[in-house]
Amino acid sequence: MKALLIFVLLCPAIVNAAIVNESLYILKDSIVVSSGEKLPYLTYNASTSFTGTNARIVLSPGDVLDLWVHNMDASEHHFEIRGTTPSESILSGDSIHIIHTFLENGIHVFHDPLNYPNQASLGLGGMIVVRDHSYPSFYWNIKEHKRGQNDTVLLGGAVDWAHYSPDFFTINGKSNPYINQDSNARVTGIVGDEIYIYVTNTGQSIHPLHFHGYHVEVRASTRNPNHVGRMKDSQGIYPAEGVVLRLIPDKEGEYPVHDHNLVTTTGANVYPLGLFTTILIAP
Amino acid sequence: MMRQLYLALVSFAAVLGANAQMDSVLTLISKIDFQPSHELHDGNQILLMGYSSTIGGSLNLPSPTLEFKENDSIQLDMWNLSQGPPHTIHLHGLDVDQENDGVPALSFSVAHDDTGSYMFKAPHPGTYLYHCHETSVLHVQAGMYGVIIVRPNSTDTMTWDNGYSFHSERTWLMSEIDTNWHHDTIINHTYDSTAMTHLVLDYRLQHFLINGKSEHQLVGNVELFASLGEQVYLRLANIGNYGNRMILPSVLNAQQVSSDGRPLPNTVLSDTIEILPGERYGVLLDCDAHFQGTGVVEYFNLNTGQVENTQNIAVTVDGYVGISEYLEEPKMFPNPATNQLMIALPESIQEMASVTIENMLGRRVLEQKISDKPIIIAPLVSGNYIVRIRSKGREWNRKLIIQ
Repeated sequence: MKALLIFVLLCPAIVNAAIVNESLYILKDSIVVSSGEKLPYLTYNASTSFTGTNARIVLSPGDVLDLWVHNMDASEHHFEIRGTTPSESILSGDSIHIIHTFLENGIHVFHDPLNYPNQASLGLGGMIVVRDHSYPSFYWNIKEHKRGQNDTVLLGGAVDWAHYSPDFFTINGKSNPYINQDSNARVTGIVGDEIYIYVTNTGQSIHPLHFHGYHVEVRASTRNPNHVGRMKDSQGIYPAEGVVLRLIPDKEGEYPVHDHNLVTTTGANVYPLGLFTTILIAP
Repeated sequence: MMRQLYLALVSFAAVLGANAQMDSVLTLISKIDFQPSHELHDGNQILLMGYSSTIGGSLNLPSPTLEFKENDSIQLDMWNLSQGPPHTIHLHGLDVDQENDGVPALSFSVAHDDTGSYMFKAPHPGTYLYHCHETSVLHVQAGMYGVIIVRPNSTDTMTWDNGYSFHSERTWLMSEIDTNWHHDTIINHTYDSTAMTHLVLDYRLQHFLINGKSEHQLVGNVELFASLGEQVYLRLANIGNYGNRMILPSVLNAQQVSSDGRPLPNTVLSDTIEILPGERYGVLLDCDAHFQGTGVVEYFNLNTGQVENTQNIAVTVDGYVGISEYLEEPKMFPNPATNQLMIALPESIQEMASVTIENMLGRRVLEQKISDKPIIIAPLVSGNYIVRIRSKGREWNRKLIIQ
């Protein structure tokens, strides 16, 4: 009887559910940071071609994710969907297979927890979005970087996290002014739109984002679920946190969003770079 | 010559016309110190950039607090006497339109010896910030910031209409100082309009401030003296680059009721409040026991999470809310109660008085006008409740035990 009740309750979600086959490839290459220099970098890619932006997985509630993660790097890595699946080791050249059903709307962070946060700091972190709507949606994977530190991690050296002082700050692997060229990151819409912004922080710093022009509603937070419903113009995103924000713009214009730890609007001590983008709303 | 005179007259008439529709017109002057005058706790003095309401005199940290009424139409004029770079005023959290947002490339900036006007409305009572958004990483650290308070139309002693009433309020703005960023070559930097980027120093702060003060300077400047029974509204804001963690004595019964100029959908009862850069929190204190001690503000590094400094705030709860105020208070009896509850009101607040009773989950279980007849509470289950008595824009909250 109990099983029947659960089945009935899940029915609406299951009707539209599907098995979603995805693959992630751990690849090592580099990204070019705002000073023009290359930073050695690893990401979870959707194909065997490297990009500096981690692949994003978008599901509907009730979907079954059938995921293969392939380690194409020369070193061992781990894979974990935080709070959802356990950390699993993937040796070089090996793969793991994960099957998981995502029942509810929200956001999940996946990353490499091996020697945390060392491996994750190399770039290995992304998001799984579960949503039952087709409203305009944008995705910000926020991260910060310290020059020279990725080389240290790759060489197996010790990192002094107690004195961590990053000097590059990115959304989806890009800094200002390149963030606005990423159509997944640059929020655009028209007055009255219902817009969703899915935010993860796969770095180690807390990033307090400030929105000009509008308040946004917190729709989900993996760290502070009791904050759902808050209307905020300044919203902190904590390390390994996923947050879903809803914006309904009431006026046209171009308005900045930036980290209000203003040091992060620099890159290698040069202003203005770093965590700064704009929202563009048409009448 | 005639054309210039005509344009001047038209401009003057336009300004007059605009002013005629404004509820509030005020002017800030952006300027710099020529001599170090802001004294730090160690006796050293630093140069500031900042806003002032007067041409003469030294700058204060923070800049003047601006107060508006809910839904006021406001004209905020700025006269830039920086001697160098342009400045702006960003109205942080007020959600003004793009033209008045104070972001140089998207709005406008005000060159040295020029003026500019920001036109906006303030629709939501709450606590906000203003700061310069020109080369903001430099100019905010240099001191170009202050607090904006928007008050509800009904009364100055409520958080918002039909919100929480309070007897008194304090505004505490947290920030930090790295004295290396206050050197004359930075504060008095020349302006090169062709420079697209600026080189900044590493941020290695040495001073952790509340309202521009720290350590022994807080004595007499940033303290909390309250009476037993007094309800205090704390407006907390962070314009620094570190996180703040305020830890208050438990006798203050701190309750977070708002953030970023909006009521919280679920209030939070906690002695610890975390305020990140750019955030504001409204915290209601209910001083229910005599006390002498300290509250603290921890300043934690956003990159490491480590607390790098702690500032102490003296907290004293002594005496009682004034007798005249006490006589104006409603009386509720018996408490604990069983079937009936009486609320007696002084004559001055009898008109249009109402009462609501909420359970401890905040759910409203009873609401009615107050009369000289008893309130029937027999249908309510035994337990603790909050009774909210409202009259003439004021609110009194009482704990009620139903047996």
